[in-house]
Amino acid sequence: MRENFAGFLLQRPAGTIAGPVHIDDTTLRDGEQTAGVVFANEEKLRIAKMLDEVGVHQIEAGIPTMGGAEKEAVTQIAALDLNCSILAWNRAVIADVQASLDCGVDAVAISMSASDIHIEHKLRQSREWVLDSVKRAVVFAKDRNVYVSVNAEDASRADMEFLLAFARTAREAGADRVRFCDTLGILDPFSTFMKIKTLIDVVGIDVEMHTHNDFGMATANAIAGIKAGASYVNTTVNGLGERAGNAALEELAMALKYIEGMKLGLRTGKFRELSEYVAAASNRPIPTWKPIVGANLFVYECENRANATMIDPSTYEVFSPESVGLTRRYVYGKYSGADSLKAKFREHDIALTDDEAAILTCRVRSKSVALKRSLFDDELIDTYHTEIEAVREELRGSRSSDDDAPDPVETAARDAVAAMNAVSAPNAAAAPNVVPAQGKVNDES
Amino acid sequence: MSRDGDALIKGASKANVGRQVRLVDTTLRDGEQTAGVVFANQEKVRIARLLDDIGVHELEVGSPWLCEEERDAMREIVSLELDAPTLAFCRADVQDIEYAASTGVDGVVISASTSDQHIATKYGKDRDWLMGRVGEAVEAAKDAGLPFVVSAEDASRTGMDFLLTFAVAAQEMGAERFRFCDSLSVLDPFVSYQRIQTIVGTLDIPVEVHCHNDFGMATANSLAGLRAGATHVTVSINGLGERTGNAALEEVVMALRHLDGVEIGVSTAHFREISEYVARASSRAIPIWKAIVGTNVFAHESGIHADGIIKNPLTYEVFSPDEVGLARQLVVGKHSGSRTIQHKFKEFGIDLSDHEANEILALARQTSIDLKRALFEKELMYIYRDFIRDNEQRMAQDRVGVMDEDED
Repeated sequence: MRENFAGFLLQRPAGTIAGPVHIDDTTLRDGEQTAGVVFANEEKLRIAKMLDEVGVHQIEAGIPTMGGAEKEAVTQIAALDLNCSILAWNRAVIADVQASLDCGVDAVAISMSASDIHIEHKLRQSREWVLDSVKRAVVFAKDRNVYVSVNAEDASRADMEFLLAFARTAREAGADRVRFCDTLGILDPFSTFMKIKTLIDVVGIDVEMHTHNDFGMATANAIAGIKAGASYVNTTVNGLGERAGNAALEELAMALKYIEGMKLGLRTGKFRELSEYVAAASNRPIPTWKPIVGANLFVYECENRANATMIDPSTYEVFSPESVGLTRRYVYGKYSGADSLKAKFREHDIALTDDEAAILTCRVRSKSVALKRSLFDDELIDTYHTEIEAVREELRGSRSSDDDAPDPVETAARDAVAAMNAVSAPNAAAAPNVVPAQGKVNDES
Repeated sequence: MSRDGDALIKGASKANVGRQVRLVDTTLRDGEQTAGVVFANQEKVRIARLLDDIGVHELEVGSPWLCEEERDAMREIVSLELDAPTLAFCRADVQDIEYAASTGVDGVVISASTSDQHIATKYGKDRDWLMGRVGEAVEAAKDAGLPFVVSAEDASRTGMDFLLTFAVAAQEMGAERFRFCDSLSVLDPFVSYQRIQTIVGTLDIPVEVHCHNDFGMATANSLAGLRAGATHVTVSINGLGERTGNAALEEVVMALRHLDGVEIGVSTAHFREISEYVARASSRAIPIWKAIVGTNVFAHESGIHADGIIKNPLTYEVFSPDEVGLARQLVVGKHSGSRTIQHKFKEFGIDLSDHEANEILALARQTSIDLKRALFEKELMYIYRDFIRDNEQRMAQDRVGVMDEDED
């Protein structure tokens, strides 16, 4: 199926800026290059298979010139005969490219710094040497009939005139695309747009975006590049990558689909599973609030949001949880209200009166504040069984007293907090301070 | 993007960011509103103090209708007499404003959902009802002598015609400023720019942008809003906030400084410390790769990067780690190069030849692959000691071998 990859170029309608976008995932290369992250070879293979199932177009599998286990892994991935293209990373060095070819990959990335600061301080070479090295490596690779991406490292800090010369050299040597690397993550979406547009207009070569998240803008910058005409984008699962990471595959895919209205044809329903696997293999757990795949994104507790979502999920959701492999859950705790609690108990064949539900809500809230979390179903039922008699007793008492008696919900909540403050006094830092009174409604913006 | 789009991009130059950007921190409100996050009152007070110390311009300190304990925390923060004005977050509800007034805050935010979707599903009402509610809340704020900000929740999914009508009405009612909320974060920076530019062009009062991070673009959208003429931006420490969170204070400040060249007078050297405090209080550990304040963002392992850093930190760092209270680390692992090994051992007072460095590098890489992680400095020393011992044994064996070839 490798020929499909070259075929992608033909699918791109001439003259339109925002043509098809191809994902080139680098979890296995830039992702693993992250300080402290090492994948076992069998993990690399599994990740490659999962990425292929999701439908990414190309996988950057590793750096064969490192030799040993790394070279073996790339060879094994190339031998899987996946639908996607397999690309290996190289310096602009013939021996590196040869090592990649030995692995049987169909594509190579030839990387070279394009900024003067890198050329002078890291490479300690001249611009001419840079262009010569690129040219030689590209010609060597193209003679051996593989797809060639030339990676302009630190392109965002490169002198624009030199970057254009760099890209032109790559194109003339036969490269299929240029990868624009915002290696330090220093661009904003507007400057990204201008640079990419210039590059495409002047040099006329396919451009791939490679962005970093040092200022939290990796995804936005990748999208800016795509809007300017870039047709490839380098992503990683969970945004894994050097320092603050790269553009996250899941963020980019969903933003392109739901914000920009582009269809990439990816099986996004596997995102959560893929993210979990990479999180485990990289030993970097997914924060529960991680965009797209965080475990808490579709969990509702607040009464108002829970109710609105039950009526119409689009009140608070742009896409469904199933579309990324998550599930919508309603949890019961500090922000729950009587209506959702009644509905929940009905599931367990327990019918509550409005008054009972109001008081029980307070007990549930108190328990949640004390535990600093929402409650499990068992805990809810347990709360019902242990509290219901006292609740009914309280209701009989309040019915026989003055009509102006304080609202039972408020009273119970206040009492509960007083009790809890007393209990947790030795550990003041953990003392709960918030008692939701009449439900926290229309409270987010 | 169309030709108009190109003009937009050119117009969105960083020179357009006003020098008077004001940060409105909502760690204590939207931050605490995050499902599962509860601050103790003393934590709230401490966070307010820390934010004021570093020069944050305004603080949204809480939702006063919640309960007496919340109002107590707000009162305590007010009593600190911070430099930053304090704001209470209220729904468009007279009772909420009265609660806010009882805390002594300097001003209130009056929040109302403006999208048809929210008006219909959440309120079950219509636009006229909404305008009426906002009007009543505004009157209450005026009666209490409280300056007010009008905040349009779900503004990004609101038709621009109604949004502008709503914003102009807020201005006519006397709002200090108008807050635009991308509550579900459905915008990209380009569309954010266009929307904010239109609103800024229509209003005379300042405009604030409030972004969420559901697609990872909160910071980019906030910066785009500032370029379009917004003067205020809502932020929170660590980006704490509903679902995926808000624009992170530390990202916005550093992006303004290093990408837009705008200095807003916030001191950054305590960022890591404040982030750690809020992380603890919210029980949400800072991911080690978190932009700006993650402990790993100045860790370099790969041979190419580490080599560059050793020669000149500017090759792979935009700002120095001290600037945000972090430290640089060179990590030895699978991707390390021999230069890092030499550099690392020099720190230990050991000079390695190129040959020795290469030998130790091979051993270190293999150990890292076996352990599936980078190595601790101690492990590196063990590798070195084993290497030296093996060398000595080999040399000793060679000597023995020369003396008596028959010996095993």
